[in-house]
Amino acid sequence: MEFYSVLPAGRPVRLCEATRRFAYESLQGKYGDAAMETPYIPLDSIPGFAAMTDLEKYDCAIDAIARKAPVRLCEQEKVCGAATLGGAIGHVVPASFGGQPIFQSVSHVTLGFDRVLREGVTGLRRAVETSLCAEHTPEEKRLLESMNRCLDAFTVWHGRYLDATKTARPDLHALLERVPMEPPRTFHEAVQSLWFLFAFTRLCGNWSGIGRIDWMLGRFLRQDLESGRLTLNEAREILASFFIKGCEWIRSNTPPGTGDAQHYQNIVLSGIDADGKDVTCEVTYLVLDIVEELGISDFPIAVRVSPDTDARLLQKIAEVVRHGGGVVAVYNEPLVIDSMLRQGYSLKEARSFANDGCWEVQVPGKTYFIYEPFDSLAILQKQTLKLECDHPAHFDNFEALYRQYKADLQQKVESIWQAQMNWRLLSKPGETPVRWRPMLVCPLVSLLTEGCIETGRSYYEGGPVYTVFSPHIGGLPDTANCLYAIQKIVFEDKKCDFDTFLQILKSDWKDNEALRQFALSHYDYFGNDNDEVDAIASRILSDFADVTESKYGKSPVLFPAGVSTFGRQIEWRNLRTASAHGHRRGDILSGNFSPTPDSDHSGATAIIRSYCKAPLLRMGSGAALDIKLFPTTVEGENGLCAIESLVRGFVALGGFFMQIDVMDAEVLRQAQLHPEAYKTLAVRVSGWSARFVTLDREWQEMIIERTSQGVN
Amino acid sequence: MRLPVTNIQYMSTHDGPGLRTTVFLQGCPLHCIWCHNPETSNDAPPLFFTQSLCIGCGACAAVCPRGAQIVRETMRQYDAAACNGCGACVSACPTGALEATAKEMTIEEIIALVERDRPFYGKAGGVTLSGGEPLYHLDGAMALLKAFKAKGISTAVETCGVFPNSAAEALAELVDLFLWDYKDTDPARHKKNTGSDNRGILRNLFTLDQMGAKIRLRCILIEGVNFDETHLCGIADTYGRLRHGVGVDLLPYHTLGDAKLTRLGRPPAGNRDWIPTRQRLLWAQRFLLSRGVPANLSEFG
Repeated sequence: MEFYSVLPAGRPVRLCEATRRFAYESLQGKYGDAAMETPYIPLDSIPGFAAMTDLEKYDCAIDAIARKAPVRLCEQEKVCGAATLGGAIGHVVPASFGGQPIFQSVSHVTLGFDRVLREGVTGLRRAVETSLCAEHTPEEKRLLESMNRCLDAFTVWHGRYLDATKTARPDLHALLERVPMEPPRTFHEAVQSLWFLFAFTRLCGNWSGIGRIDWMLGRFLRQDLESGRLTLNEAREILASFFIKGCEWIRSNTPPGTGDAQHYQNIVLSGIDADGKDVTCEVTYLVLDIVEELGISDFPIAVRVSPDTDARLLQKIAEVVRHGGGVVAVYNEPLVIDSMLRQGYSLKEARSFANDGCWEVQVPGKTYFIYEPFDSLAILQKQTLKLECDHPAHFDNFEALYRQYKADLQQKVESIWQAQMNWRLLSKPGETPVRWRPMLVCPLVSLLTEGCIETGRSYYEGGPVYTVFSPHIGGLPDTANCLYAIQKIVFEDKKCDFDTFLQILKSDWKDNEALRQFALSHYDYFGNDNDEVDAIASRILSDFADVTESKYGKSPVLFPAGVSTFGRQIEWRNLRTASAHGHRRGDILSGNFSPTPDSDHSGATAIIRSYCKAPLLRMGSGAALDIKLFPTTVEGENGLCAIESLVRGFVALGGFFMQIDVMDAEVLRQAQLHPEAYKTLAVRVSGWSARFVTLDREWQEMIIERTSQGVN
Repeated sequence: MRLPVTNIQYMSTHDGPGLRTTVFLQGCPLHCIWCHNPETSNDAPPLFFTQSLCIGCGACAAVCPRGAQIVRETMRQYDAAACNGCGACVSACPTGALEATAKEMTIEEIIALVERDRPFYGKAGGVTLSGGEPLYHLDGAMALLKAFKAKGISTAVETCGVFPNSAAEALAELVDLFLWDYKDTDPARHKKNTGSDNRGILRNLFTLDQMGAKIRLRCILIEGVNFDETHLCGIADTYGRLRHGVGVDLLPYHTLGDAKLTRLGRPPAGNRDWIPTRQRLLWAQRFLLSRGVPANLSEFG
């Protein structure tokens, strides 16, 4: 029963044998396999179903799920409630009509679980009733009534667990008699309350983040420890159940794809609260203890770090990070808060930030978020340079080239904005009241998002306090590298004239291997702390942010810029032409804000230096840097010190978000050959971690080929 | 003043405490038969050549002013005797198959590059001078160390211990940690395998120790060459006599130097029989620990 670590000494053991066994079985797919036995609750026998409105159908679906989904109690669990319908693993509401699911579900959100910890589910009920008494349109009333039906269904499901635990698990029964209907009084009740509500949203197909778990649970643990009700070891066992149960959707034979462990169950740790007080507490450390021991990758964890972060916490982060798996990432808290203030959030809201599925910053429980990716490199190659036309473009100097690129880029961002506005809003710009286009029904998610109950508007239709739509630039380091290569090869070093060079690119470097090699190896590209190329990357981002920031305050929709690829470099590679920095069509290029593969030869610190020069403050949605380290770099006391130093330097230089993975290409090759022996080996994929064996071949290769930063 | 730099390695975690930048200088007074960094020896050729990167384009031959680079039917030949190390071929090579083994850099240039990683050094990290033997360029090394000290960057020097004893006092002032390559105990064997006996080295070691310098012994273990109980006792004895010792690293011999020899156009010199087994290394560690020596061994084989 081993939980994979890249370190030969393995992971520490703190949890009891039964809990570890529970974790092992979950990670091996025991519960995911069970869920696949009942993927959907069929709705076919409901009279008149086909003629119902979407909202009525949704109500029926949630009601049927609550009544009929299998109830699961596990012998080793310390909190109960389970998302037992396999269809939810596929991002749908797991109820079917004619054999097919009817509704998509919601992700990229962190729901307002904290509200239920404060007010209980009865508090939600009161809020809905209060809102129903206020003035609303008939549509708004219908949504509020549907929220009430969701609460009815939840009560039914809760009742089934009360019945099931009565004689089988009196300990759990006692918890459920109080929570989540009423606010918890103890840590154990709080964990049960949070899990039960989270499990119900998952049971109904939604993939929510958890948010700031230490902030939500910290006060309960503090009280229990002070009063002697609970020991730290007991608290760790209770919280471990939460994390282990979070793996209940892992299947023993997940069809290969982009990895199984990405249900966006994000957790944010540490940092300050709305009043500026540090929330770091024993819960913070228990969470890190648990993922350090079990290597669970299904809850991507991001820790807020600042210059004031305690040395103990930094060391703990390093201890978890160096086992590999990339489960723990870091935010530079002061910069993130400043970037939110810049977008117009209040200081209290900015300080409350968590994230959605990966690292896109949002105010939890109050935000609808969506992003749209675009490939900045394809814009350069196809629009600016016209490499797919019979007659590619011509520019006499670098500035002329860049001006055209800037125009093309800004036009792309502008068109993304316009398309979204036309799509989301039925009202004209400036018209009040704002009218939103009706979208997918999701009363359950609306119920748990602040603003929706109060306004009677849905999560997708302007109900939440914040609606955020973010354009994400992809391929940025490659675009900067391409522009830099043209600047050097053509305009400065004059190795080749412009038109000839473009013809060479058009031909995919045919018969020009020497020049291709020259382009690859003679210049220091992004990630090597070369001011010239880093300045081009910064310039592109500034021009990008000029457009997004021009929309601030102009609409009920926030429009922050972001940087990401989330693995799209794989699908984009065949949509691109040859690249001026020496790459052929079809090469897998940079991911997120990380250097082009194999172009970074100056070590991880140089990558961080390059990245931190960018105007990250203006990237309101986030800009992620991936750092890969060799296991030998992080071994021993000094290895811990090295990781801490990387994080401190990242904060000092003004980074945004950094994910460090530790891995050994040789081990990953072994895992490809013998997947059965590496079932618990997790790797950072992009904004998430996944078990390596559940990635398909292309994704595995991409991860193996990424440069690892080690020592010679 | 210029120094021949073979590499500036950022993010070093094995050359002293914390996260460090290691500056490798060319030049060494010893000739250890197991040398891992052959490009830093005094007689190292000026060029690395990586065959797998060569596309036989002939660009090197076209620019070489002395006919040292010849490309015939895409196969490169190199006349080391004719080469004066001017570097024209390195600039011309499109693929990076040709690289200079060392680059002459000013003290200021080196300092500027080391300073770049200052945000990462924290309290523990800093700069490490290595080589070759960094103190082989005593004046240059001292100038560098002084400058780093003045800038508040912590300093470490990895040394084989060959330097004028008269320099010890100044070095003790400038170096926060010595990483001392303790190669062998037996003087005759030391002379046979490194070209020099170890009496002067030991004298320097204890002089520095008396001056309060912090010293960590770095002991390469080579099966059939120096890996025996007598040498381990020597390590324990020497370490035990240090008043300011801060631990011992056990470093297994490896043959990775061969990759560099090949790129230098020299025959491989590595000997796989010299590689100690994990078992033997663990035995050595236990042997030293049982004698009160805090011996450290990498988790990885």
